[in-house]
Amino acid sequence: MRSITLGHYLPGDSLLHRMDPRIKLLSLFILIAALFLIKTFLGFAIFCVFVLIVFFNAGLPWRYFLRGLKPIFYIVFFTITLHFLFTKGGRVYWHWGPLTVEEAGIYMGSFMTIRLVLLVITTLLITLTTSPIAFADGIEFLLRPFRRLGVPGHEIAMMMTIALRFIPTLMEEGVKIRNAQMARGADFETGNVFLRARSLVPLLVPLFISAFRRADELALAMEARCYRGGENRTKMRQLEATPLDYWGLVAVAGFTLALVCCGA
Amino acid sequence: MLIETRKLTHTYMPGTPFQVEALKDVSLKIRRGEFIGIIGETGSGKSTLVQHFNGLLKPSAGEILFKGRNIWGAEFNLRKLRSHVALLFQFPEQQLFEETVWKDVVFGPRNLGLSGEELDKRARYGLELVGLDYEAYRERSPFNLSGGEKRRVALAGVLAMKPEVIILDEPTAGMDPVGRRNLMQQIEKMHKEENLTVILVTHNMEDVSYLAEKIYIFSHGKMVLQGAPAEVFKSATALEEIGLNLPPLTDLLLKLKEKKQEMRTDLFSVEEAACEILYHFKKG
Ligand SMILES: Nc1ncnc2c1ncn2[C@@H]1O[C@H](COP(=O)(O)OP(=O)(O)OP(=O)(O)O)[C@@H](O)[C@H]1O
Ligand SMILES: [Mg+2]
Repeated sequence: MRSITLGHYLPGDSLLHRMDPRIKLLSLFILIAALFLIKTFLGFAIFCVFVLIVFFNAGLPWRYFLRGLKPIFYIVFFTITLHFLFTKGGRVYWHWGPLTVEEAGIYMGSFMTIRLVLLVITTLLITLTTSPIAFADGIEFLLRPFRRLGVPGHEIAMMMTIALRFIPTLMEEGVKIRNAQMARGADFETGNVFLRARSLVPLLVPLFISAFRRADELALAMEARCYRGGENRTKMRQLEATPLDYWGLVAVAGFTLALVCCGA
Repeated sequence: MLIETRKLTHTYMPGTPFQVEALKDVSLKIRRGEFIGIIGETGSGKSTLVQHFNGLLKPSAGEILFKGRNIWGAEFNLRKLRSHVALLFQFPEQQLFEETVWKDVVFGPRNLGLSGEELDKRARYGLELVGLDYEAYRERSPFNLSGGEKRRVALAGVLAMKPEVIILDEPTAGMDPVGRRNLMQQIEKMHKEENLTVILVTHNMEDVSYLAEKIYIFSHGKMVLQGAPAEVFKSATALEEIGLNLPPLTDLLLKLKEKKQEMRTDLFSVEEAACEILYHFKKG
C-alpha cells in the first residue's frame, strides 16, 4: 500500500533523476505526442527500444515496470476484447454465431494496446525519477505563460504539492485506524457489498475528521508564516537547466521528429 | 505460556529502497496475569512488536504463538484472537467514530456478536473500569469530550470486549500528570482485580518500574535487556548506552548509595524509597 503512496517516486542518482524537471515534462509531452502520431508497428518497436534503454539506464528495476502496468490491466483487456469482436474488415479468422474476429480487429486491438502500454511506461519513466516537489515546480514553470489567460499556475502547483505531501500521511493514518478498528473486531473483508460499505464507516469517519483537522492546522501554520502565493514570490530551490538538459531535450525532439517524419 | 515469540523478525516494505528492518530475532515469553513493560527509544520497534501479538502484522520471519498455537497457522482464527488480545494504539482517541459514547464503546462487543442487555452491561463495565460515570457519559458525543476523556472512552471500548490480554501503546502520551497518574492507577486496578495480563509500552520509566513485573528493553529493533525492574535498573551505564534514563527514583537511590553503601536501590514506590532514605540518614 505504501508503495503507491509515494507518488511512485524512487530516489536515485541517475542522469534521468538529475535532469531538470521542466525538461523532463517537456520531453514527456513530446513523447506522448509522438505516440499518437506513430502509425506503424515498426515505429512502436523503435520507440519501445528507446524507452527501454532510458528505463534501464536510470537503474529502475523490472518490478516497477510491471507494477506500473497493473492498474491498466482491465483497460487493456477491454480494449483488446472490444476491438477483436467489434472492429470489422479483412479476413475472418474465427466466428461463433454472430461473433467474428476479423483482421482489422486484431490489427486495431494490438495497435491500441501497444499505444496504451507505451503511454503508461513513458509516463512512469518520468514519475519514477522525479520527486513530487520537483514535479510541481516544473508544472508551475510550464504554466507560467498561461497566467495571462487566468491560469493560476502557482496555486495549482501549491495544491499539487500539498496533496502529494498528504497522500502518504492519510494512507498511513488510514492503515492505523483500520488496524485499530480491526483490533476491536471490525471486519472489512467479508460480507456482501452493502455490509462492506457499512463496515467502512468506522474507518472513514475518523479519517475525515483527522483530514479536516490537518487541513485546518496547515492553513493556520501557513497564515502564521504570512504565506501569500503568486506574484513576487521567490523560490528557495531555483530550477537551473544545464547544457546537458538542453541536449537531452534536443535529442528527444530529434528522435521524435525523425520517427514521425520517416513515416513510421 | 500465553504469548510467545520465536525469532520474530519484521521488515517493512521489503525489496524497496525504503526497506526498514523494524524487528530482529525477538524471542520472548509472556505468562498469564503478568504485567509486562516494554521500553525503548523512538523507532525501536515497540509498536511493531505489539501489533504482532494480535495478528495485525505478519512476521517476515519467525513465529508467534498464542497458548502454544501458531497464530499464522492454517486453522487459527485471527478475529477470535483479537477479542482475547486487545490492543489500544498510540493516540487511541483517533479511532472514535460514533455519535454517542455508548455506541462507540459497544462497537467491539457488537463485533463479538453480543446484543441487547449484554451490550449495556459491557458498556457499563468498560466505562466504570476507566473511571467514567456510565449515566453521565453514555449519551454524550465522543467528539465533545476532553482529550483525556476521549482516551478513556477508547480504552473502555477495548475493555468492554473483556479481553484476557490488554496491550497499551503509550497510553499516557500527551496527558497531564494528574490524568496520567489516574489512568495508570486504573490500569493497575484492572490488572489486580481482573487478573488481566497487561503489556504496557511506554517512554515513562517511572510507570514501568513501579508497575511492571517484567521489563523488556528494545533498541534498534532488538531486545537488548530483559528482567525484573530491579535487575534492569541495576546500573545506569547499560541503559545510557541505548539512550535511556533511569527512573528518577532509582537514579536518586543510586546516587545516595555512593554515600551510604548499604542503601537498597530496588525500591520503586515513593513511600518505600522515602522510608529507606530516612532509615539510613537517621542512623547517621
Ligand atoms: N508502516 C510502516 N512502514 C514502514 N516503516 C515503518 C512503518 N511503521 C514503522 N516503521 C519503521 O519501523 C521502525 C520501528 O517503528 P515502531 O513504530 O515500531 O517504533 P516505536 O518503537 O513504536 O517508536 P515510538 O516510540 O516512536 O512509537 C521505525 O524505524 C519506523 O520508521
Ligand atoms: Mg510506537
